[in-house]
Amino acid sequence: MTTQHRHPPGDRITAALAANRLGVPAVAFFVLSAAGPLSVIAGVVTTGYAVTGITGLPIAFLVVGAVLALFAVGYVAMARYMANAGAFYTYVTHGLGRPAGVAAAWGALLAYNSIQVALYGVFGAASVPLLAAWLGVTLPWWLIALVAWALVLALGLSRVDLNGRVLAVLLIAEIAVILLFDLADLFHPAGPSLAWEALSPAALFSPGIGALLVIAILGFVGFEAAVVFSEESRDPRRTIPAATYLSVAVIAGVYALSSWLMQVAIGPANIAAVARRDSAETIFILAADHMGDVIATIGRVLFITSTFAAMLSFHNTSARYLFALGRERVLPEVFGRTTARTGAPKTGSIAQSCLGLLVIVVYAILGLDPMVQLFYFGGTLGGFGILVLLTVTAISVPIYFARNPHTEPRTHTLFAPVAAAVILVVMLGLAITNFATLLGVPEGDPLAVILPSLYGIAAVLGLIWAFVLQRLRPGIYQQIGQGAKAVAS
Amino acid sequence: MTSRPVLPLADDLFLVAWDVTISGQPRLHPHGIALALAGALLTELVFAGRLAVREEQLVVVGRGAVQDPLAASVLAELVAHPQHTSIPTWLAYMESQATTMVADRLISDGLLVREQPRLLRNRQPRYRYASRAVFGRAAWPPERLRGCLVAHRPVPDQDMMLLALVDACGLTPVLLNDPAMRRTGEAYLATVLRALPAPLSVLARQVRAAVGNAVLTYRTRRL
Repeated sequence: MTTQHRHPPGDRITAALAANRLGVPAVAFFVLSAAGPLSVIAGVVTTGYAVTGITGLPIAFLVVGAVLALFAVGYVAMARYMANAGAFYTYVTHGLGRPAGVAAAWGALLAYNSIQVALYGVFGAASVPLLAAWLGVTLPWWLIALVAWALVLALGLSRVDLNGRVLAVLLIAEIAVILLFDLADLFHPAGPSLAWEALSPAALFSPGIGALLVIAILGFVGFEAAVVFSEESRDPRRTIPAATYLSVAVIAGVYALSSWLMQVAIGPANIAAVARRDSAETIFILAADHMGDVIATIGRVLFITSTFAAMLSFHNTSARYLFALGRERVLPEVFGRTTARTGAPKTGSIAQSCLGLLVIVVYAILGLDPMVQLFYFGGTLGGFGILVLLTVTAISVPIYFARNPHTEPRTHTLFAPVAAAVILVVMLGLAITNFATLLGVPEGDPLAVILPSLYGIAAVLGLIWAFVLQRLRPGIYQQIGQGAKAVAS
Repeated sequence: MTSRPVLPLADDLFLVAWDVTISGQPRLHPHGIALALAGALLTELVFAGRLAVREEQLVVVGRGAVQDPLAASVLAELVAHPQHTSIPTWLAYMESQATTMVADRLISDGLLVREQPRLLRNRQPRYRYASRAVFGRAAWPPERLRGCLVAHRPVPDQDMMLLALVDACGLTPVLLNDPAMRRTGEAYLATVLRALPAPLSVLARQVRAAVGNAVLTYRTRRL
């Protein structure tokens, strides 16, 4: 890759700093592999069908993709002015003020941690049949989850972000398998004609649409990370937006296609019942019927590696959040420490792992279901939290640009972000009203009130903490939202 | 305090950050060491009166020759690129070469030898003290700092900045590795760092920010 003509002749500094920088494919690869496409399709989509029984998911992926693309216009524009660009609370701090920023930080910690912990459930549940087939013993899911937990703990602390090349190979294999499964589904329709209804916008106006939107958002989580590479990219103004839009488009396309073809192969009328019966095995049983056991087994293995990659990625995201807050001293200073040997965010990583261990142990003791009660509930709780954060961030973008000097066009600073904010507020309203449908519990079940309220509690605690800091530690209060660039006081 | 010839700041820092007496391995992740050494090389020019830190920017204030070839080459780069004055830019630029350049200076001064691993040649080399005659000098900097912190002895100017850089890159827990002396050592370190002159404090803070930022921007990952 050449980078000539972008710096004045003789400027060795710019040339040296620009060399070895990331381009669009590298950033997009990173984002997509963190999202773990196969874990979403085999895990989230099937469980979503099983729990909600609604068939409009394919069109929901397309709609959410479009909304996120609109959101990304203002988001990537504002990212260039942010110190800790990967974290939503940074945007909220600069748009809506520091108290709102701390509230958003608490909410983000809850959201990312619940997604990470949820993945232990699917990892365990999906590994059980595979190990049973290979070793002839049926292990409990939590034992496998504990092995994964130990690996995440070790890799998190040794700062082995899975090697980029390994991730790229896994991602390409995952997408190849997904498309192969899709093709097989297409040639083995359940009914005489293809089930087009799931792709019609009319499917969106079914009751329980809010549930679909949260499930779809969960599939996209990770797209917000492209902006982290701003300083690492060849041309931040071009690379980061392009990588973000590309990731959103690929995710939306692949998920919509696969979730639709799943219905084509099983039949819209049966999909919920089949998904309830086969759970995370649904697409692999289909694949075994269509193409034989070898392909299905390859799919199962990739499902597990994909889940693991996502698990490690969300672990690192949570640990970095805690680290940034520790550097700002919003959390105790100890969270801002790193391991000497590897430079991993030590305390954040350990804290996240403690939470993971606690959740696995509690679920094992209470005998709760790893797929629905851990993976699906945890995942949707996280997905809902991301929806809340996206909404608050979208509101923050135009406010920030209205108050601060910038050189961005109005479409990026006003029109697109305001439109995205309005749509996201509507989506959030739908999600809250349809939370019982999302969880598959009867209307009025306390769980449907308790889970979304957790974000309210997190936000209130964040606000209180911010006001405490403002009163008692004004120096720290001033540097909220600065990330690692915060000045130690 | 010291009766030995004073080493340049970056050399001192290298000897704190690298276990040159036993394992020959770094005591801190290479990225943190490199950023701190880059900061130390800039500070050497500040000490030599060639460079100043004004409002968070680097300004060349004297172009007269400096004796040390490494310092001279850094100064030449700064003079050749007046359009770049931001400290983070210079830290990022110098980071890739800093460790090797400072090690080369220590080698040419006869303090260290470089051992390239025979297998896996692209792995990072080990650095050990060159001979028994220089063992004391090579092992001295971390002992000196530890002694100052634990016994609350007054700290000379150069060691003040050395401590600031050590702390900025995350080496303090390595230096105060004995839990019994950590608390008192850290308290005294905080006192010492408060006395650091403002321009040096800016440099150290920028090193801390760059090291922390590397944690948040996945700097270990390359596709």
